[in-house]
Amino acid sequence: MKLTVFTLCCVILMGYAPQSLSRPVSYPGGWTVMQKNDKNAHSLHVHYSPTAKYSIGYRTEYWREEDWQFHGVQINYLVKRLNAPASQANFYLKGGLGTAYGDLGVPDGELQPAAFADIALDWETRRYFTSYENRVYYAEDIAKFFRQKARVGIAPYIGDYGDIHTWLMLQVDHITGERDNISFTPFVRFFKNEYLAEVGISDKGGILFNLIIRF
Amino acid sequence: MKISIRVIFFMTLFFAFQSLAHGEHEHNHEGQVVEPSAVSNNMGNVACEDTINIKVTGLVCDFCARSLEKVFLKRGDVGGVKVDLGKGSIVVAMKPGLTIDDATLTKLIADSGYNVSAIRRGCEHG
Repeated sequence: MKLTVFTLCCVILMGYAPQSLSRPVSYPGGWTVMQKNDKNAHSLHVHYSPTAKYSIGYRTEYWREEDWQFHGVQINYLVKRLNAPASQANFYLKGGLGTAYGDLGVPDGELQPAAFADIALDWETRRYFTSYENRVYYAEDIAKFFRQKARVGIAPYIGDYGDIHTWLMLQVDHITGERDNISFTPFVRFFKNEYLAEVGISDKGGILFNLIIRF
Repeated sequence: MKISIRVIFFMTLFFAFQSLAHGEHEHNHEGQVVEPSAVSNNMGNVACEDTINIKVTGLVCDFCARSLEKVFLKRGDVGGVKVDLGKGSIVVAMKPGLTIDDATLTKLIADSGYNVSAIRRGCEHG
């Protein structure tokens, strides 16, 4: 627990350091730091893209209510990108392999193998954005569940390159397992240069705060 | 609840400020004039014969388009890059006397996440 809090604090601090970007796959040689927080979990993903088709990196997650954490390697693969004159669509596959640690159903301190698999789709223009992502988690005796997330967004103004860009967005989350529920999170996305931030509050009262930086 | 009200209040202020600040840019877009301060201008004074204008598809997101600068500015032969989201194009300023062939340009654009639809060199693109 202390380690997770410490790790997340370090990442938040990194968010204020110079340099860093949102796609799970970047340009060849690009690094990306993604730090996300919502009602359910905190996560950190740092990845490197050797080519424009895939990225590999470290991922950690802390699931607050169930008090368990994941540490492992994540691979993101760009299956298809469709570029049109006024829009872009992406299809990604993601997977993670590592260990889980928690108190649920296992002796305290015992590490268990854990993995997840993910499908992500997005489509955007300069005015509209929509995305869908799902993920299956397996952490042996600690957690097994399915999570899916859909987003829609609209830009209230069209910014030029270099402006602060603002999006009004809505996220719908569905999670199975012990906490089976659907939540709605209106949030605002801001980005400028290599920095992207998202801030919102769900209908369940959970705060969403995400930071993405691309180097 | 108090936190929610504060967050909404500050966001409203931010939007109001952004909308006001942005009005002038939209006007310029209608007139098809690129406002120099509205684009990344790391090109300095470059003669038009040393520039390449590349029309690309998929250029919709400022945050993602940063990869264009990252990819091109890593090269020793490129002096600057100017991205225009409104026109869906980028202008690459080459160092004097240097150039990049079309195949390499297409590969660099693909590495940045986009596709090339047209390449015009020198002063022909004005």
